[in-house]
Amino acid sequence: MQIIINEQETAVLPGETILETARRIGYEIPSLCYSKADKHKSSCMVCAVKNKQNGQIIPSCTTLPTPGMEIETESEEIRLIRSLSLELLLSDHKADCEAPCSMVCPAGLDIEMMLRYYDNQRYPEAYHLIQLAFSLPEIACDTCKVPCEKACRRGAVDKAVSIRAIIKTVLEQKAIITDSENEKAELLPVQKIPFNSRLGRFTEKEKHYLKENIKSESRCLHCACAGESKCKLRRYAANAKIKRPRYEATSVFPAMHKEHITGNLWFEQAKCIRCGLCVYNTDNGFTFKDRGFGMQIIIPAENKKQINESIAGICPTGALYCVNH
Amino acid sequence: MTCQCNNKEENHNSLIERTDAIIDRIGTSREIIIPLLQAVQEEFSYLSSEVIERIYQRTEIDRAQLISVSTFYSQFRHIPYGKHLIKVCTGTACHVKGATNVYDSFRRELNMENDAITTNDQLFSIEKIACLGCCTLAPVVQIDEKIYGHVLPGKVNEVIEDFLATAGDDQQNSAKRQVEKPAGEIRLGMGSCCQASGSTAIYEELIDASHALHIDIKIKPVGCVGVCNKVPLIDVVLPDGTITRYPNVQAKEIKEILHHHFKPAGYIKRIKNSLFNQIDTIHTDITWDNVIWKSVDERTGIIDSFLAYQKHISTEGFGFLAPLNLAEYTNNHGFEGLKKALQQSREEVIQTVLTSGLRGRGGGGFPTGKKWEIVSSSDSATKYIICNGDEGDPGAFMDRMMLESYPFRVIEGMIIAGYAVGATKGIFYIRAEYPLAVVRIRKALEICREANLIGDHIAGSDFSLDISIFEGAGAFVCGEETALIASIEGERGFPKQRPPFPAVKGLNQYPTLVNNVETLSQIPFIVRNGASQYNQVGTLNSKGTKVFALAGKIRHGGLIEVPMGITLNQIIHDIGGGVEKGEKLKAVQIGGPSGGCIPASLCDVQVDFDAFNKMGAMMGSGGLVVLSESDCMVDVARYFLSFTCDQSCGKCTFCRVGIRRMLDILNKICSGKATLSDIDKLEELAVNIKKTSLCGLGKTAPNPVLTTLKYFRHEYEEHVNGICKTGTCKDMIKYQITDDCIGCTKCAKACPVDAIPYTPYEIHTINTEQCVLCGLCIDECKYNAIVKESLNQQTNREVKESAVCR
Repeated sequence: MQIIINEQETAVLPGETILETARRIGYEIPSLCYSKADKHKSSCMVCAVKNKQNGQIIPSCTTLPTPGMEIETESEEIRLIRSLSLELLLSDHKADCEAPCSMVCPAGLDIEMMLRYYDNQRYPEAYHLIQLAFSLPEIACDTCKVPCEKACRRGAVDKAVSIRAIIKTVLEQKAIITDSENEKAELLPVQKIPFNSRLGRFTEKEKHYLKENIKSESRCLHCACAGESKCKLRRYAANAKIKRPRYEATSVFPAMHKEHITGNLWFEQAKCIRCGLCVYNTDNGFTFKDRGFGMQIIIPAENKKQINESIAGICPTGALYCVNH
Repeated sequence: MTCQCNNKEENHNSLIERTDAIIDRIGTSREIIIPLLQAVQEEFSYLSSEVIERIYQRTEIDRAQLISVSTFYSQFRHIPYGKHLIKVCTGTACHVKGATNVYDSFRRELNMENDAITTNDQLFSIEKIACLGCCTLAPVVQIDEKIYGHVLPGKVNEVIEDFLATAGDDQQNSAKRQVEKPAGEIRLGMGSCCQASGSTAIYEELIDASHALHIDIKIKPVGCVGVCNKVPLIDVVLPDGTITRYPNVQAKEIKEILHHHFKPAGYIKRIKNSLFNQIDTIHTDITWDNVIWKSVDERTGIIDSFLAYQKHISTEGFGFLAPLNLAEYTNNHGFEGLKKALQQSREEVIQTVLTSGLRGRGGGGFPTGKKWEIVSSSDSATKYIICNGDEGDPGAFMDRMMLESYPFRVIEGMIIAGYAVGATKGIFYIRAEYPLAVVRIRKALEICREANLIGDHIAGSDFSLDISIFEGAGAFVCGEETALIASIEGERGFPKQRPPFPAVKGLNQYPTLVNNVETLSQIPFIVRNGASQYNQVGTLNSKGTKVFALAGKIRHGGLIEVPMGITLNQIIHDIGGGVEKGEKLKAVQIGGPSGGCIPASLCDVQVDFDAFNKMGAMMGSGGLVVLSESDCMVDVARYFLSFTCDQSCGKCTFCRVGIRRMLDILNKICSGKATLSDIDKLEELAVNIKKTSLCGLGKTAPNPVLTTLKYFRHEYEEHVNGICKTGTCKDMIKYQITDDCIGCTKCAKACPVDAIPYTPYEIHTINTEQCVLCGLCIDECKYNAIVKESLNQQTNREVKESAVCR
């Protein structure tokens, strides 16, 4: 079967969708709710293309070509629609890509990561991170105006995390840190992708929840997204040159509500784009609840045990993720 | 203590037993989940966790499916409700007549706090409901099975009292008795609207009175008369055929009406009756003159002009056909179309429908014959026909009326369609909010089965088709055919991407013909009389008639069937008698949440699928809500958006998030906090949602906004400047008492929140801090001394001049 993509005549392989054909011949089409090997239903509309014959905008990920079809994937109109759909998804995406503290540190220390090691009593790694950022760690923060503590989200809940004091504490542990252990630290610099989703303000309810539930050693909320490295939403938003969403965000889901699923697998509702990939690809696992704007993905406690950690890989955002402590 | 434990165990056991009985009756497979949950809810009033656990144990339904489905459909409840359920209709007609105030009044009256939906004593629960389909009686409230029309915010206490007073009565005590030689016949409309305005009481009174007066008459409940604004309406038919019509009858008038027309059986009784009648007159001060409080001409004249411009195809036999009398339907050409069709080849029947030019009445206007051809062309051994009666548009009630009043006609149309496409199974999909329609269709199907009109070898032919009923569970999106099919399959009502169309691959992957109720009800006429008689009526591309639910600010609302090509002005002025209370026409909202607002200046447009589409509106399913100068167009747009936002299935980004963002902007505009750039943002979203949505709901949802932006943009701009000229948007106004006040204290007594101090013979004042803007004081004030004032000081004068006190 032959179809025309961007005025180029193309043969379609059996069973291929428009998206697959277009990608095969070299056109880039973003997509979130699509997963080739898995069951998927069009939802996000980030892969929109135009059927030039009837002028309709269609999701290329699920539409099967018909003979002689004329498809447009690159026009300004399509670019706008894709960008708008990302903006809409982001307006309902109540989450930080990066932790504000790490973003503002003048020395470029990934503070949130350091605090994560600290909370897990992995002082050598924490120490190593600090060492990487400062040439003279022992006096590093003494002259700093600690913008990190001012940016700290915990400050909005009750009181900011005492970052400077914690750094001092870590440094005091130096004596017990051996050189061999130092090498365990992972070197992950703060991502400099131009797009950054921001959490915005906490509601009173969220503040209450966080205050009651986050009891880690450092009291850090760990705002930075754990699924960030695989997040397509952020990548596409950066590609589409979205700076900040133009729509005032309202969400029915509490921010930073991290639910433990099984093993290392965690789920964060406020980051979910409701594409349903995890629902369609688990048997009696995840499910939809309610409808419309308030529709959410949930998992009943009884269903958690049958979930495999690998499902995290299917999620296009950081809503489902694995944490390795 | 032990005793209690035993009781608990017993309760639990009986619960399990009852659940098991339901499961045994309905089945255990995944796709029966909706009927199963409906049955469970009917038995236990909500879906309790114990019952649900039992369902997991005994059926194929798992946790994921049950949560997914039961939270999608609004019918299902997960918490126990109070003893009685108050449903406040928030359909379009009710909305423009102040349903929100009614809802708030109920909550106040019942002392319900914050988000509570049930009163502390567990007596009442309250919920808003999309549309009860009694639009001409707006605002409408339903308590359990009882419907109250024209409920004013100030009268909710009376409604509650009345309900509690009659709740204990056994409504079923109307003993029927056979009449051998009736002296005449009395026809009484018994549609949902009629019943809401008290026709059940009239019916009982007719039976009691005729019994007491010993008058042998036949009392015949008929379907909807269409003249909903004049109900209860009875026709007295004398043996010589003369008909006398009494609109707006009251129960206490029945005796005298009967007495006027009929003579009791015996001489002595006659004297006795006349004596009693005189005594009655002395006691009650009701005389025959009181019944005719308007002259006969005036009463029937309105009805005649209401009916004069109409043409009856779907509603043929209105006002005299008893809904469930098969013999009568057959005597009036019923099932002639079917018999004729069965003698023809399938291709011939399809050709007739193609030539007739009939287009789908569900909204889209796709040629019906074309759809039939596609289904018919498949050689699949299994094919389905589904009658789509999931009429969810707020402001529309045509399908309900047709299912209630002409069940046989819809069934006939369905069998003909089934025959033409070679269907092997038929399903009626009827929304749960229409209990009377379900009852009537169920009964009608039984009658047809006995008469061999459905089942094996219909009417002695080779064609066999059985029809069952599926009750929708409360989701507007299920009017979309792919979502409808998903719900029959036991899934949430997510529409599927088309193609493949259901006509090719539908229910259980088999070719499925989905036709709307009204479409099917036109079929018998077409087949019986031939295509040419049908396509004479109408315009070039829209043939036949269209049934509209005429409601809103109209003098004579009701259900009308008009030929295509009639203008909107003719409908409003000649049939509907113009805008009520002498106000000026502002716009007509047509097609509900998928349609748009047509401004008064363009109301000479002909009723036509394409003409409406060109104006940005849509035929939709046929709700026609008249809006007057006192209606705020931004508020109307916001109303529809909040409806679609609530009803969106949530699958696709543009509809799920986009409509919500549009609603956010509209809320901002209505609270006077928006800027001009918000209007542009709104428009950008609307255009793109329309372009990008995958199903009919999303594609049409922006229409109310787009048309109001097109024709009433100045109103949006006024709102940005802090002015709502009609005083509808509460955030922009306050109430003020003018010097016309004489200090009668009526407003102070009416105020539910005591915002008006009780100061007799002084000009009253309103404490704006306390005032909830419910409008009760304005309704009470005889001197028009309470006005709505804009909070924006500069524009006060302007608003005062145009403020309309309702």
